[in-house]
Amino acid sequence: MGQANANFLIQEEKVFSGALSCRGCGWSLLTRHLASLLGENTVYVVPACCFSIIAGPYPLNDLKANVVHTLFAAAPATATGIRAALDRQGKTDTNVVILAGDGGTFDIGFQALSGAASRGENLLYICNNNGAYMNTGIQSSTATPFGAATTTNPGTDFRKTWPKDLMGIIAAHNIPYTATVSLAYLNDFRDKIKKAMDIKGFRLLMIDGPCPPGHKTEPSESIEETRLAVESNLFPLFEVEKGKHKINHFPKNKVKVEECLKLQGRFKHLFKKENKAIVDKIQNMTDFNWKRLKLLEKMNVDLGY
Amino acid sequence: MIEIRGHARGGQGMVTAFEILAKIFAEIDDYQVQAFPAFGVERTGAPIQAFLRVSREKILNRSNIYFPNLVVVFDETLIAQVPVLNGLKKDGAILLNTNSKIEDIKLKTKNIYTIPATQISLDKGLGTKSLPIVNAAMIGAIIKILDIDINVVANIIADNVPTKPKENSESAILATKNILKSKNITDELKKYLNEDSLDENNLDKDIVFKSNNQILDFPSWNKPMSINKTGNWRVVTPKYEEKPPPCSTNCPAGTDVRLFVKQTSEGKFADAFSTIYKFNPFASTCGRVCPHFCQQSCNRIELDSGLNIGAIERFLGDKGITRKFSKSPISKTEKIAVIGSGPAGLTSALRLRQKGYEVIVFEALPYAGGMMRTGIPSFRLPLNILDKEIEAIEEQGVVIKLNNKVTIKELSNDYDIIISAVGSHKSNKMKIPGEEFATDGINFLREFKLENKNYDINIGDDIAIIGGGNTAVDIARTVLRLGAVPTIYYRRSKNEMPAIPHEVEEAINEGVNIKLLTTPISYNKNSNGKIVITLIDMILGEPDKSGRRRPIKIEDSEKIISVNKVFSAIGQTFDDYVFEGKKVKVEQGKIKFENNKPVFCCGDMAWGGTVTEAIGSGNFTTDEVVAFLKNQNYSSKDNPVNVVLPADINYNYYLPTPRHENPVVEMKSFINNFTEVVKGLTEKEVIEESKRCLHCGECYSCGNCYNYCPDAAIHIDELNRLRIDYDYCKGCGICFEECPCSAISLKMDEVVNESSVN
Amino acid sequence: MNQVLTDKKVTKINQKYPRHTQKVLKGNYAASESAVLCHSTVIPAYPITPQTSIIEELSNRVSVNKFDATFINMDSEHSVFAAAMGAAMTGERVFTATSGQGLFYAHEVLHGIAHFRLPIVICNVGRPSIPWNIWSDQSDSISQRDTGWIQYYGESSQEVLDDIIQAYKISEELNIPVMVVLDAFYQSHTSENIWVPDQELVDKFLPKKKLSGSEIDLNNPKSFGGLVPPDSYGNFNHGYWNDIIKVEDLTNKVGKEFEKHFGRGYGAVEEININKDTKQILVTLSTITSTARGVIKKHPEVGILKIRLFKPFPRKSILKVLSDSNVDKNKCKIITFDKNFLGDSEGALMQELRRALYGENYFIQGVYVGLGGRDVPPSTVENIIETCKTNNDEIIWIDS
Repeated sequence: MGQANANFLIQEEKVFSGALSCRGCGWSLLTRHLASLLGENTVYVVPACCFSIIAGPYPLNDLKANVVHTLFAAAPATATGIRAALDRQGKTDTNVVILAGDGGTFDIGFQALSGAASRGENLLYICNNNGAYMNTGIQSSTATPFGAATTTNPGTDFRKTWPKDLMGIIAAHNIPYTATVSLAYLNDFRDKIKKAMDIKGFRLLMIDGPCPPGHKTEPSESIEETRLAVESNLFPLFEVEKGKHKINHFPKNKVKVEECLKLQGRFKHLFKKENKAIVDKIQNMTDFNWKRLKLLEKMNVDLGY
Repeated sequence: MIEIRGHARGGQGMVTAFEILAKIFAEIDDYQVQAFPAFGVERTGAPIQAFLRVSREKILNRSNIYFPNLVVVFDETLIAQVPVLNGLKKDGAILLNTNSKIEDIKLKTKNIYTIPATQISLDKGLGTKSLPIVNAAMIGAIIKILDIDINVVANIIADNVPTKPKENSESAILATKNILKSKNITDELKKYLNEDSLDENNLDKDIVFKSNNQILDFPSWNKPMSINKTGNWRVVTPKYEEKPPPCSTNCPAGTDVRLFVKQTSEGKFADAFSTIYKFNPFASTCGRVCPHFCQQSCNRIELDSGLNIGAIERFLGDKGITRKFSKSPISKTEKIAVIGSGPAGLTSALRLRQKGYEVIVFEALPYAGGMMRTGIPSFRLPLNILDKEIEAIEEQGVVIKLNNKVTIKELSNDYDIIISAVGSHKSNKMKIPGEEFATDGINFLREFKLENKNYDINIGDDIAIIGGGNTAVDIARTVLRLGAVPTIYYRRSKNEMPAIPHEVEEAINEGVNIKLLTTPISYNKNSNGKIVITLIDMILGEPDKSGRRRPIKIEDSEKIISVNKVFSAIGQTFDDYVFEGKKVKVEQGKIKFENNKPVFCCGDMAWGGTVTEAIGSGNFTTDEVVAFLKNQNYSSKDNPVNVVLPADINYNYYLPTPRHENPVVEMKSFINNFTEVVKGLTEKEVIEESKRCLHCGECYSCGNCYNYCPDAAIHIDELNRLRIDYDYCKGCGICFEECPCSAISLKMDEVVNESSVN
Repeated sequence: MNQVLTDKKVTKINQKYPRHTQKVLKGNYAASESAVLCHSTVIPAYPITPQTSIIEELSNRVSVNKFDATFINMDSEHSVFAAAMGAAMTGERVFTATSGQGLFYAHEVLHGIAHFRLPIVICNVGRPSIPWNIWSDQSDSISQRDTGWIQYYGESSQEVLDDIIQAYKISEELNIPVMVVLDAFYQSHTSENIWVPDQELVDKFLPKKKLSGSEIDLNNPKSFGGLVPPDSYGNFNHGYWNDIIKVEDLTNKVGKEFEKHFGRGYGAVEEININKDTKQILVTLSTITSTARGVIKKHPEVGILKIRLFKPFPRKSILKVLSDSNVDKNKCKIITFDKNFLGDSEGALMQELRRALYGENYFIQGVYVGLGGRDVPPSTVENIIETCKTNNDEIIWIDS
C-alpha cells in the first residue's frame, strides 16, 4: 500500500524544500515540476516577482540550477544575453528559462518579451499568471480578471476591464510554440513542457497561478480553483503550434464561471444582487472566448514555418 | 515606557493589532506611541514580529525592541520554533494564546498570562480554521494586562478593524474575561506606561545581538534552500490515515469488501475468496441473494453508479468454492451443539470448528441450509450452489445431523455450549376474519421447492399474495412460473417494501402485479370455491418505530375481489419447540435458560433480516462463545468512526465508467422454467468492475499527494513508501484536498513527528 | 559607406609606433575598431544618435565574417544592457555603445551590472536630455556617476581606441564595468589620424578573458542577485568598496604598462604646463583639452589638468600633481570646465574637484561651457582665461 509507482511524476527533485512561498502557492509547485523535467543543465532568469523571494534570500538557492535574478522589465533581454553567451560556448543544449509573473509579462516586461519573441530567441518563457502584482501585495495588472478586487481596485471600484489577451498577442509574434497550462492538469502541463523543450525558438507557457492570499482562497483549494477555471472555460487549455490552434481539454460537464469565482474571495462582491449582471457579463465573455478559440482551432491553417 | 514585542504568523493580523493598540493609547490618554512590524518578505504563515512602544515622553528609539517588558505570542506553536523570550526583562511577562493550562506550559519565565484567543476568534467567526484571525482577542488581553478599561476602547477596536467590527470588539471584551495568569506573577507591567523601565546596561546583550563581519566580494547564492525549515509555518498537519470505507462498514457479515475488491482487481481471486470466506462461508449464495448493503452505500453512486460488488462476490464464491477444503484438527475439549443449519448456525459452527472445537449441528428438516434452501426459489439460488457451500463446511469437520428435531434440554447434558439458530419458519397471522382461507406462504415455498407440492395451482389462476417482503415476491414469481396470474397486495408504498428492490423490479418485469397501499380486512370463500377478499385502501402517516411511514386505513374505501388462492406472507417468527414451548426472550443474542447457563442465539430468531445479517450474527455469536469459554467478557466492536462519505471523495480523479450489470436471461416462457434468472459476470468483466472501486479511505498510490506537494515535502523512502517531511510541510492541505479517496487526514494543532503510509 | 569596406591599409609613411597601422578614422569607428581588437564576443545593440555608427560598424564586421562576435538587435537600451548583463554573467567579453537618452533609460540596469560585478566595457557618446538635443554634452554619463561604473573620458579618437583596451584590462581585473565616454560629433564623427595597433600586440596586452569564478557555471549552480537581508547588504557594499578604491592606482599602473607595449602612456590625470608660477589651471574632460592645449601656448602662466579617469574621481593623482608642481595656492586659480548641467549650483567637475581638494585652500572657479554641443573654439577658451583673470565669481556662464 502507498507504494510509489509510475503515477509519481517526479523521478528526482530538482528543487529544495524550504522555499519562501505562501501555503498553497502555485510558484513552488510549478517550478518543482518544471525543474524536474528541465534538469540541472538550465539557467533560470527571474525578473521581480514572487519567485524572486521564494527562490531564496542570500545565500540560499531553491533550485538545483543557476538562477539569475534580473530587473523587472528585463528578463527576456537578460536571457537573450545568457543564451547568446551559452551558444558561443557551444552549450546550445542548456535550457534558458524565464520565470516571470503576470506583471513582468503583461506590463513592465512586455517590450522585452515582444523583442525577444520577435527575434526568435531560443528561450522558454514561463508566465505564472496569478492576475495581479502579488509580490507587492495584490495590485492590479493588465492580467487582472474582470470583476476582481485588488488593493488598487478596491471595493466597488473592482476591475472593470478585460485582461490583455497575451496568448493572442504572443501567438501573433509567429513563435513556434505557445500554450496555456494548469496545475490541475499535471500530465498536460508536463507534456507541454516536454514538447516546448523539444522545440527551438521562442516558446511561452502561460500558467494559471493559484495564489491564496491574492485570490482570497483557502490554501488547500489551490488545485480545485485552477481546475474549475479550466472546467468553466475561464482558462481554457490550448496550444498554438506554428500558427495552428489546438484545444487540449474540452470540459465534459461545462461548469458555470460562478462556480470558479465563488471559490475566490476577490470576487465575493460579484455575488451581491446588484452585481448579477457582472457575473453574466463574465459568463458571456467566457463563452465568446471559447467560441472564438474553437473557431481558431477549426481554421487549422498550416503556416509552414 | 513600556516595550511590547509580538510574535505571530503572517496573516494573523498582529501588525494591525499593534497599530490599533497604538491608536488606543494615543486616544485614551494622549500617550506617545510607536508601532511597527519587523519588515520582512515572509509569506502567510511564516513567523513574523511586531513592536509596540508606549510612553509618557517622546519616544526617541526607533529601532527594533530587543528587551521587551511584555512578549505577546499569537500562536503557541511558535514557542518551539522562535526564541520568543530573548531579551525579556527580569520582571517582564509573556502573554500566550493557548487553551493549555498554565501549569502545563514549559517556559523559562514564571510570569505567564494565557488567553484562548483562537477559541474566541473561531467562536466569533474571525478568520479561517487554518488561519484564525486572533488580533482582537489579543488586543483585549493586552488591554487587560495594562489595566485599561475595555469598555472605553471597544469602539476604537471596532472603528479600526477592516471587517466585522462587532465581532471584533466582542472578541476583545470576551478576552478580558478569559485571561488567566500564573501564580505569584508580578502583574505590575502597567506601571511602565508611566515610568522608565530598567537600565539597559543590566541586560544581556549577547543573547540578541550578533553581527556579520564577513566582507563579501561576490554575491553568491549557493547554499541549499532546505536550510530554511518551513515546517514551522504549519498550523494544520496532514497525516496518512486509513479510514473505513462504507462498503466494509455496512456489510452485516463484517466482510472486508474493499480488500477483496482490490484483490480481485489484481487478479488474486484465491486471496479475494479467502478474504470473504474469513467472515462468510456463503459467498456464492450471498453473491446472489444478499441485498448488498455494501453496494447501496458505495460512494461511487455519487459519480455514476455503485460498484456491482454482488457480481464480484458471486464470481469469487463460484470460483473459490470448487477448491479443496481441509479438515481442521480438534484441539479443544469443549463440545458445542448448534441447533439449526441455516446461514447463522452453519457460520458459527464452521468458525468454531476452525478454532478447534468439536461442533455438531442438529437440523430438524431432512436437508441443511435453513431458509436459504427452504425459502429462496431455485430461479434465484440454484440448489447445487448451496449444496457446494454446505459440503465445504462439512469437509472442514462440521457434523450436520439431519432429521434431528431437538430441544435444548435434550442437549444440555452432553454439550458445553448450545447455540440456537432455529430461524423463523412460522408464519405470522394477520388476525382477520376468514384467515383460515389464506395459505401459508413460507410453507408453500419450501414444499413446492423441496417436496414438489404444487398446491393445485393451475394456469390462469388469479393468485393474491399479501405482504411486501422477499417471501411475497418469491411466491409471486414462483406461481407465475406455474402459469398463474399473481398480484401482490402491500399496505405501504413501494419505497417501504422490505424486499430487495431489484428483485421487485425483476418480478414486475416478469409480469407480477403489485397493488400498493391496500390491505385485506377479511377473507371468505364463495360458492365457486373462489376466495373473496375485502381490501381497504391505506394512506401513509407518521413514521413508526422502524422508521417507515405507518399505514392508516382510509374509511369507506373497501372493495372486494375474488381470487383462486391467497398467500399470506407477512413475516415469520421462530418455532419455540426448541425451548419446549416456553416463552423466552432473546436479549443481546443470549437467552438465560436453566442453571443460568446461557443459550447463545443467532440468525433470524435472534436478529431477523437477511442471509448476510444471519451470517454476521453467526460471527458475532462465535466471538461471544469463544470469549465465554475463556471466561472473558465479549464486547462487540464500536461503530467505526470517520467512515468515508461522498463529501470526502475527490471525484475529479475518477473517470465515469459504466457499471457491469449482471445479464438477465431472456426467457420465452416462464412456465415451469425454474432456471436461474440472473447470470454472473465473466472474469474479464469482474476485473474491470473491481477496478471501478474508489478505494475509499485507503491509499492506492495514485501519486496525487506527492505530485501536488508545493513544498516537495513528501518523499519516497528507501522502502518505496510515502513520507511527509514535517520539517518542510507548511500544512497547506493540498494533499488532503487532492487525495481522491480520503486516505489523508488534516489535523488541527497536532504536533506530529512522523507519518507515513505503511 | 561603411568604414570596413572603404578602409584600405595606409602605407607606412612615418612609423611612429611599431607594429601599428596609421589610419584616418572617426572616433566612433575607433571605438568599433578597438572593440574588435579586444575580441569582444557579444554585442547587444540599439541605435541612437550619435552613437549609431559604432554598432553599425560592428554589425557589418560580423556580417562579413571579419569579427567573431554575436551581434543582437535589441528592443531598447534597457534590454541592451540587460542582455549585456546576461552575457557577461555567462563569461563573455561584452561591448556595446549608447548615447544620452539611451544611457538614461538604461540607468536601472547600470546599477545591476555594477553590483553584479560584471566586467563590461561600453562607449557612451555624450548628449543631453530634454530639451531635445543630439549634440555634445556630458550630462548623460556624468549623471550615471553613482551607478558604480568606472568612467574614462577620451581626448582623441586615438585615446578612445586605447582606453577601451585598457578598460577591459582594468574591468576584468576588478570585476567592475567601465564606460568610455566620447564627445558627440567633435570626436564621434570627426575623422582624424589614428594608430591602430596590430592584433598580436593587443592580444599580448589583453589576453583572452579570464573568468572570475563568479560566472554562471553549469557544474556548480548558484543563484545571482537574489534578495539580501539587512544583516548582509552592507557587507556586499564593503566588498565593492574594497575594489573601487583600487581603480585610480590601477589606472596609472595599466597606463604605464600600456606605454611599454604600445609606446603611448596614460594616467588617471594628465598635467600640462603646471608649475609654481601657474596662475590658472584649466580642468578639462575630453576634446576641450586639445583646444585648450593650443590656446595655452600663448599663455605660459596657464596650465591644464586633464581628467581622464572621472569616476572614481582620482583625488590622489590630482593632489600629487599640485604638490609635485609646487603650485602656489595664493596665486593660482583652478578653473573647471563643466560641459554638464546637473540641476545644482556647481557642475559635476567642480563638485568633484572641491571634494578632492577639501581642506587644501585652492581657489576654485566653475565655468559652464559647451553645453548641448555649443562649439568651444579657441576664442572661448581665451575668453575664459581672460574673464577669470578679473572675475572672481564662483560660477561663470560662458556663451549663454
